Amino acid sequence: MAFNLTRRKFLQSASLAAVALPLSKVIASETGVTRSPLEPAGSFKDETVVGGVCEMCFWRCQLVGKKRNDRLVKLEGNPKSIDNGTSICARGNAGIQLLYDPDRLKFPLKNVGERGKPKWKKISWKEALDECGSKLKKVNETYGPQGICMFPHGSTAKYPMHFFERTVGTHNVSEASFFQCRGIRDTAYLATIGMAPGENVDMPNAKAILVLGGHFGENIHISHIKRYVKGLQNGAKFIVVDPRYSASAAKSDIWVKIKPGTDTAFLLAIMNYLVTTKKYDADFIDEYGDGFEEFTKAIQGWSLERAAKECDIPAAQIKEVAIMLAENAPNVSIHPGRHVSWYGNDFQRQRALACLTGLLGAYFVKGGWVPAKGPKVGKISWAKQEHEAAHNLNMNEDEEMRYPFTPPGTPTELIRDTALSGKPYPIKGCVIWGQNPIQTIPGQQKMKDVLKQMDFVMCVDVMPTDVTMWADILLPEVSYLERYDLIKTGTQWDFSEKQQQYIAPRMPLMAPMFERKDQVYITNEIAKRMGYEKDIPVKTIEEMVEKNLAVAGLSLAQVRAEGGIHIQAGKNPYQMPEDFEVLFFNEDIADVGFPGAPTYIPVKDSPAGFARLIYGRVPVHTFNRTQNNVWLNNAMPSNPVWLNDELATKMGLKDGDVVGFINQDGFKSRTTTTVKTTPGIRKDVVYMGHGYGTANPLMSVAVDAGVDDTSLMTKITLDPETGAHGMRNNFVKFIKDGNIIDIPTSA
Amino acid sequence: MQNPSITDHVSTLYRFCAQSMRYPEPEWFTEDYRANLYALLETLGGDKELNDLKNAFGSSKDALEDIQVEHTRLFINGFPHVAAPPYASVYLEKTIKGKFSDKIVAFYHSLGYTMTADSDLPDSLVHQLEFLSFLAEDKNQKAEEEFLEKFFLPWFSIFSVRVKGEVQHPFYHVIISIIDFFTKEEEEYGVQLNEA
Repeated sequence: MAFNLTRRKFLQSASLAAVALPLSKVIASETGVTRSPLEPAGSFKDETVVGGVCEMCFWRCQLVGKKRNDRLVKLEGNPKSIDNGTSICARGNAGIQLLYDPDRLKFPLKNVGERGKPKWKKISWKEALDECGSKLKKVNETYGPQGICMFPHGSTAKYPMHFFERTVGTHNVSEASFFQCRGIRDTAYLATIGMAPGENVDMPNAKAILVLGGHFGENIHISHIKRYVKGLQNGAKFIVVDPRYSASAAKSDIWVKIKPGTDTAFLLAIMNYLVTTKKYDADFIDEYGDGFEEFTKAIQGWSLERAAKECDIPAAQIKEVAIMLAENAPNVSIHPGRHVSWYGNDFQRQRALACLTGLLGAYFVKGGWVPAKGPKVGKISWAKQEHEAAHNLNMNEDEEMRYPFTPPGTPTELIRDTALSGKPYPIKGCVIWGQNPIQTIPGQQKMKDVLKQMDFVMCVDVMPTDVTMWADILLPEVSYLERYDLIKTGTQWDFSEKQQQYIAPRMPLMAPMFERKDQVYITNEIAKRMGYEKDIPVKTIEEMVEKNLAVAGLSLAQVRAEGGIHIQAGKNPYQMPEDFEVLFFNEDIADVGFPGAPTYIPVKDSPAGFARLIYGRVPVHTFNRTQNNVWLNNAMPSNPVWLNDELATKMGLKDGDVVGFINQDGFKSRTTTTVKTTPGIRKDVVYMGHGYGTANPLMSVAVDAGVDDTSLMTKITLDPETGAHGMRNNFVKFIKDGNIIDIPTSA
Repeated sequence: MQNPSITDHVSTLYRFCAQSMRYPEPEWFTEDYRANLYALLETLGGDKELNDLKNAFGSSKDALEDIQVEHTRLFINGFPHVAAPPYASVYLEKTIKGKFSDKIVAFYHSLGYTMTADSDLPDSLVHQLEFLSFLAEDKNQKAEEEFLEKFFLPWFSIFSVRVKGEVQHPFYHVIISIIDFFTKEEEEYGVQLNEA
């Protein structure tokens, strides 16, 4: 555009006054800049703010923030921390970039276009909350509370989840952390030792450590890594079971290059060997074991040779592992893992891990499975209420549970299938809070179809993740650096040191920018509009934290004065609970038609020309949540696919070649990545970092960077005991320059 | 009251530009506002732009919502992507509220200005234009020139190209062009506020 005047001529013309005078009448008087007393130049106001609790991943290291004027310039580990100490990881450091990411959600948005192809319009909070409240109320009145489903994730989602689950009364809540991650582990251990295991292995004091699939160093959680490294420093023998030569495998004494999906067979053979050679802890089993005879009978067919054939590893290596564990028992860390939703036979594998720990007598002993005895704080939330089980999708017509060992909530597929079929009832309202179901749940098209048929979809998030494209209303949430929130509790990470406990409430390091709000405000306002005002448990998030702290005799002011973390005397973690027992054979499991002793269930092999797609963490990302972070993107912008080097040669591929994928159902990846050839991976699998390949262009840094592995999971597998997903049962071929390349996996 | 001076008029023009870059609300995006915008374009000889605007608003069922959607898309969280966040730090440091933002605040403070409690970020286009309007009102030509050179033009030039390349509605093309018109020449000729 070019005007017919220059500025100078315009300013000199008589027209200036004629135009400018009327303009002054249509200008509002308020401005964001205002006159104030003069301040001398160069007077920076530097300060250290305490009370940060990281949420770049779920580990939640304690932080301090370095501020200059009103800008957070650096994050560091809190020197008072007995957990992470002054250390934080790359992601923790990069929290600054999340805080100031230009792509972050800033204002409430209304979709005036279509779901999936949104056209956003900024609206006021009042309009947004009115819309959410009235639409969800209508769904509730029309279809009942079961007509609302929720996909929550993270610490901010607990409060709204409890509102919808407890107060409104829907069972249809599916947390990714359970159904696509650790739920199977938790319920398998509950069914064996009565407790969810966490990652509670005393690695610093172990003589041997067994890790199945875990790749420490590629997944980094500071105090967990400290435990692991200290254990290795102290000379622990280290066994890593993984189809891939992971960062952990590189530090191992034994790398078991196992065939994917056969881990349970491997564990059964070890246990059978320990039993038949009497290398197990008989005293421990006498005292704490239950169902041991049925157990030994059930696993007796698992010779070393049979497992070796099934797992495609040498029998001698299985024996070597068994002996190494037995020789170091009971000071052995059998790591329970975390993300365990692998093959759809996972409950049995996790049971096997829990039983192996028992066989070695490795509960509540130095180096074994030892839960920390942390301090108690309050857990104020929406009051629990009785809701009829009639609409619980996990109950069948005979009032039996379809998935008896389900984690809390309702298995994701039951919700999705019901939403799509309308049977036994319609699900027409969807609340997505901090979760990105498009990239966490296999079957992306199914998820999109579920969202399409809803009467109303609302999302609350920090970033415009892929699922937010499907929202009718999109609400911007404050980040972990801008809010009060959960209270992180725990103990010192090395149990051989003085026993201490800590209490660290999350406190804001910065005031929120733009119009971002916290979960208590948003939930309460929606609750008011849905008619549940009388049930609101707290008015503000700060009040919630204060009340939870009061249970421990603390206040925010006191903890802040103590540097953001309260430290107190701890308790001996090794003391065995009086009623502790290990159910080697669990009759309750058998009574509902599943194997009462850990049992191997084979999974399908790769079809000819395909390799199994497996995935994992990379050290500088927490899946999709950190993909748009400019620092982290710079550190690892894509997710190269690991391919066995001999196969690569046969396929005519080399390092750096750009490839896409086609899976067993003919689904092609939308984007491409590069090839990483290595001898450090089996020939029947390919591997990539999880969470890449964002589709939402609003994530301007992450969009189309790497390949979205979840998009290639079109075959949906379920773990029969829990209803959680198996996510490693899809197979791929490569595409290069438009040509499909078979993977000669049998070569 | 004295007759307004040229600098007062320049101040008004900056404020009008700042106002135009705020999120469109019915309180200010009125018939009066549009009439004044049309008059300004007529004076500047922007006939084509005037026609484009009149056509766009004239054919719209909801002119306000049209530019609300356009504003959201261009400057907040747009689809397919946010075209041009209106903050200097984004262009110079690839972040919101970068060091550049601190420097701008320091400059505001050094001349006796600060941000109000409910303001947007200090390096936002709206507040930079507001600040320029105050400098014009103060007849502080030296500071205006320095601010434009150091804090405004280095990023606005990138921003304006992005906006013009992404606009779907003529309104923001016109507004950015007007801001360009009132600021860009300073780069070449320096500020000349006196009539002599």
